[in-house]
Amino acid sequence: MPTFKFFDLNVHAYPETEVPVEELIRVAIRYGYAGIAITNYDEVMKGKEGEQLPPSIANFAFRGIEIRAKSVSELKRRIRLYYGKVPLIVVRGGSKELNEATLKNPMVDVLAPPYGEHGKEGLTHVLVRYAAENDVAIEFNLNAIIHSRRSDRARILGKMREILKFVRKYKAMPVITSNAHSIYDLRAPREMVALASLFGMRKEEAVHALSDIPEGILEKKWKKRREVEII
Amino acid sequence: MKMKRAKCKSQNKFCVLRFALLLPPTLRERRRYLAFELISEREIDKRALLKEIRDSIYLLYGDTGASESKMWLIGYGKKEDAEGGTDRCRGVGILRCAHNKVEEVRAALACIHSASGVRLGIRVIGISGTIKGASRLTATARKQKIN
Repeated sequence: MPTFKFFDLNVHAYPETEVPVEELIRVAIRYGYAGIAITNYDEVMKGKEGEQLPPSIANFAFRGIEIRAKSVSELKRRIRLYYGKVPLIVVRGGSKELNEATLKNPMVDVLAPPYGEHGKEGLTHVLVRYAAENDVAIEFNLNAIIHSRRSDRARILGKMREILKFVRKYKAMPVITSNAHSIYDLRAPREMVALASLFGMRKEEAVHALSDIPEGILEKKWKKRREVEII
Repeated sequence: MKMKRAKCKSQNKFCVLRFALLLPPTLRERRRYLAFELISEREIDKRALLKEIRDSIYLLYGDTGASESKMWLIGYGKKEDAEGGTDRCRGVGILRCAHNKVEEVRAALACIHSASGVRLGIRVIGISGTIKGASRLTATARKQKIN
């Protein structure tokens, strides 16, 4: 089996949680990751946009931001604020309008759609089509599976299965993340692949969603191509 | 001469009995042994861990799935040289399952997030076909120092 470089694109660390970045990195290296992206909420990181990670961990950890907005105008304003300053922009989805505004915006890297949360709509096939056009990756948050039980988990798995069907159809980019808030939420890549198989993701797909796609997102592979096309 | 014959007979009997008790190779079940490593906030009892693993498998795959996986905890022990960092408590253990249910058991292990109120995370180090092989894996994991 060829060796892959695995990445986890949604990890929360200090100051949002109590876990320092170094601690998370130590565990992630032992689990076999090639890199993790620290995506704290933008509310917490206000005024620290330009701040860089210490050079000792800069080649392993990447800085990102997770945007949680309540309205479309607020979302657009915040994306414009962080674009170019932070290497990775993740948007937490919510209502249909918010998801639509996110997926139509090529500045966004990853959308974290809500999976089966009450009162929040997921993605429709039309929206996933926009995601494929604008190269916005769609996140599959495995922490939701790990931390729920019985009917909640059944609903979440059903939703993920549905979205995976759209993603396959329109060739959008899936990304598997742990959304870890502590070192105990991190899982090794092989375990992530096994968890992804619970909602019908094949092994090759899951490995691709853990290694090649996140690496391409961090390198801005697809976005660069788009910029060249526009010029 | 008589004595010798008697001895031979008894030995023979013993041999027949032993082979009758053992399952023939064609009927034996194929098993896999999963060596796993655990990090947790505090020390975890073996019994609590086993209960949590069983619950996880029952919740994920139901009664029929759990019966097919034939899961059994062979051994679990604390790792000795656990120092530094917040994950002070670490353990390594061996789990048995059916040879075609490894991925299912792996997913069930990954679904465990806490046992009796203690947060934990499980990682499978390796898979082996024999207990000897699995214990070799855990032995190397035990020796590994935390960097």
